[in-house]
Amino acid sequence: MPTAKELQAMKSKHNVLATFSYDKPKVDKGYANQTLYVNIESNEIKSKPVTQDMKDKFIGGRGFDLWLLWHAVNDDTRWDSPENEICIATGPIGGTTQYPGTGKSLVTTISPTTEQVIDSNVGGYFGPLLKFSGWDALEIQGKATEEIIIVIDGEESTVTIETAPEEPVDTHILSEILTDMYAEDEDDRRNVSVVSAGRGAEHALIGCLNFSLWDVRRGGIRVKQAGRGGIGSVFRNKKLKALVVRQPGVSGDSNNPADLNVIQKTGVKMHREICTEDHRQERMRTTGTPHLIEVMNAYDLLPVHNFQYGKHDDTPKITSDVWFKLFTQGIPDGCWYGCSMACAKTVENFELRTGPYKGEIVRVDGPEYETAAGVGSNCGIFDPAAILELNFYCDTYGVDTISWGTTVAFLMECYERGIINKEHTGGLELKFGNREASLELLHQVARGEGFGLIAGQGIRRIKKIFADKFGADINFLNDIGMENKGLEYSQYVSKESLAQQGGYALTNKGPQHDEAWLIFMDMVNNQIPTFEDKAEALHYFPLWRTWFGLNGLCKLPWNDVTPADNPETDEPNKVPEHVDNYVKLFNGVTGMNITREEIILQSKRVYDFQRVFNIRLGKGLRKFDAQPYRAAGPVTKEEYESRAERYDGQLKELVGFDPEGKSTEEKLAALRVYKEDQYEKLMDSVYKRRGWTENAVPKIETLKEIGIDYPEIVEVVKRHL
Amino acid sequence: MITVNGRNVDWESGLTVAGLIKKMNYIFPQIFVTINGDLIKKDDYDTTPVSDGDAVEIIHMIAGG
Amino acid sequence: MKYVKCHPDKCGYKLVCMATCAKKVQKSDDPALANIVITKKDDGTIDMNVCNQCGQCIDVCPTGALYRNKPGVVRINKDICVGCYTCVGFCPTGSMRTHESRTVPFKCISCGNCVKACPNKALAHEEGEFEPSYFEKGEPGEPGETFPKEYF
Repeated sequence: MPTAKELQAMKSKHNVLATFSYDKPKVDKGYANQTLYVNIESNEIKSKPVTQDMKDKFIGGRGFDLWLLWHAVNDDTRWDSPENEICIATGPIGGTTQYPGTGKSLVTTISPTTEQVIDSNVGGYFGPLLKFSGWDALEIQGKATEEIIIVIDGEESTVTIETAPEEPVDTHILSEILTDMYAEDEDDRRNVSVVSAGRGAEHALIGCLNFSLWDVRRGGIRVKQAGRGGIGSVFRNKKLKALVVRQPGVSGDSNNPADLNVIQKTGVKMHREICTEDHRQERMRTTGTPHLIEVMNAYDLLPVHNFQYGKHDDTPKITSDVWFKLFTQGIPDGCWYGCSMACAKTVENFELRTGPYKGEIVRVDGPEYETAAGVGSNCGIFDPAAILELNFYCDTYGVDTISWGTTVAFLMECYERGIINKEHTGGLELKFGNREASLELLHQVARGEGFGLIAGQGIRRIKKIFADKFGADINFLNDIGMENKGLEYSQYVSKESLAQQGGYALTNKGPQHDEAWLIFMDMVNNQIPTFEDKAEALHYFPLWRTWFGLNGLCKLPWNDVTPADNPETDEPNKVPEHVDNYVKLFNGVTGMNITREEIILQSKRVYDFQRVFNIRLGKGLRKFDAQPYRAAGPVTKEEYESRAERYDGQLKELVGFDPEGKSTEEKLAALRVYKEDQYEKLMDSVYKRRGWTENAVPKIETLKEIGIDYPEIVEVVKRHL
Repeated sequence: MITVNGRNVDWESGLTVAGLIKKMNYIFPQIFVTINGDLIKKDDYDTTPVSDGDAVEIIHMIAGG
Repeated sequence: MKYVKCHPDKCGYKLVCMATCAKKVQKSDDPALANIVITKKDDGTIDMNVCNQCGQCIDVCPTGALYRNKPGVVRINKDICVGCYTCVGFCPTGSMRTHESRTVPFKCISCGNCVKACPNKALAHEEGEFEPSYFEKGEPGEPGETFPKEYF
């Protein structure tokens, strides 16, 4: 860490390009009622009013982001076009301190890997502090010509664009430097949050953003990631080094809620529930999300060797008992105030063994389940130290751990199958389990050299390079490359759950489990056997979960802990008491009087709007919902034979094909015809339930029904009817 | 023969709810169990017998997320 | 460390302690703001609830607003507290208090005013000792304990 003098020297090199002073509004019932527009090309900074129609139709968070982005871009805007924006917003409930999981920021942009809208949900203090500084959302447009930062100081009521030529780019250093630089004193550091990427995001298209918080208890910086879809790459492409927000004085009524009492009561009830239930349910407070490693392994759902298999004999090396010992225990690990679920775990005093920071002792934020499974089991790396090292470097370089894990797993399979060799990889032996190779490849991404330049582009582009330049069979690559819409899959094996195949691929942004995770409900509980049942689940759950993103909420406190009497309720899978909590929170903050059903309507507007947005950008239709076959069934002989009994049984019982005496190839082919047909039928059912055409276009009557039949939206839809 | 979540599973004498959960390798902690529609309390898993022909539901309470 | 010890068998349910606490500590006439709560249960027995200064709340506070002062009493720094109420939900005795007129929780400061005011001697100011909480034992994450070598 630089000394105070060095910090001062660094800051003295800043050249303020624009300063904007504003009248800071008092947040009223969850809204600041204005958004901040910053153009880093023209250096224009201005305030835009939030209209009642915006609040009624788009609520906040992802809804506001998308509405602002929609008006900023044109039909041909690409990820690196100057008019593309990065939009960041929390929502009306965001910044509530009394209830767990209420400090999320939603980030959207046009993605470099999916070439359509991406949204990402992230912790850290930025979103709430942005709102309490007077801004419901921030949109950043244009491309700077030199390295810049944007500083929003809520206490001074100023926004500045400043050059920042000397600060290092990597997150773990930069976020600490800027926190120290813009905090008035040590105590003020908790009031500062920094958004940054890293060197990797400069050379890769799978870049992420890190949102910081000053951890009072650890006396250091923590970072949470807006990981999906390459937002960090857009950030660095704009020559943005960082965003800084400073806002002192967060309190229990910073949101100025309509009914503080109901929020306090609902919050206390939830804290009590977590206190009494978590330790006998998922143990989020002590092991965080990695408790899922052993669960997924037990149900054959943990991705192993590029999603070929669902379990592995070495899994016990990376299960939650291991992480329990490595995580610092007994610390309030929320990523915003009041999150008693406290799943944002860290490993302290980790000595790096590779790369530019070799030998340094660092704090690792994580791993989350997704990271441990992605850079770990999916790549055949069952080694906690390697997982932590990959986790740390992905974060500080600004590379998404999920995309990195899934991409490297794909590359390793290509290597093992001889599709690529050392000549292509520059000598890297990319075999499953080779932790050194994965780390070296990641360092190459950060340095912008060698095979790292290909690896960082994400699976969709890599497939094309391998086919065009290395003569690979594109059909096979399409079968095993785990991406849909250009986004790499997150870390669950969906082969045995048709509903989850839809949960992954019949999405707006691509295969991220945050729309719908239906594997237990479908595969294990057998609760949604028919196409209509699955379609209903793929209507309800994605909309329910969209709502978290409209309000600045985290999904985890909804169902990663449940009230003791939840099994006795009418719909345990929806956790009715928690749904009621959210209704109370929304009404308590905004003063409105919505019902459970209106939650779904609020989401439906934004969800369908996002679908239309994708259609406007030339995507969003049925063909873009196609999934790689590996998400549905066995691609290779080895995969089939690893579960021969199960697949033979399916052929007999479901397909009406007698496997007796047939070769594996014949059985593979018969099963594939069946599974692909099932998926097509699922698409038909889901689109119908969603009020869309067979081509996945929201019908005009649907848009009318939900009240977003704006002429500009209808006009896009009309082209496809 | 019994059914678990609507699918046939072999029955054996002396089977308890706890034994059945173990046999199915259902290690996820957030589950609840019904036998022929009746909810079984967690504390009673060890002592509650599963009889031949029972329709057992072992519902995992994570859905959509 | 001195804490307020309750003897419900001696309580006459006159609620003098609550009125005294509200007045002297919270400067209010509303007994709902008292740091001590006396309730009559359905079976007619008395429940007396007040903080025993165990300090477990110190560990769950994300801001460091909860601390033990020199005499050993657990106090809240209202300037730092953001009113998250985690301490309220996690208090093992349910003695961290809330009120709709406040944005931060409140609790017994072991001043002894209620003890002096109780006409029935149902309250006593006693010396007690508690296991130091996690944070009281020392800040975590400091150098000294390195990542275990067995994982390399």
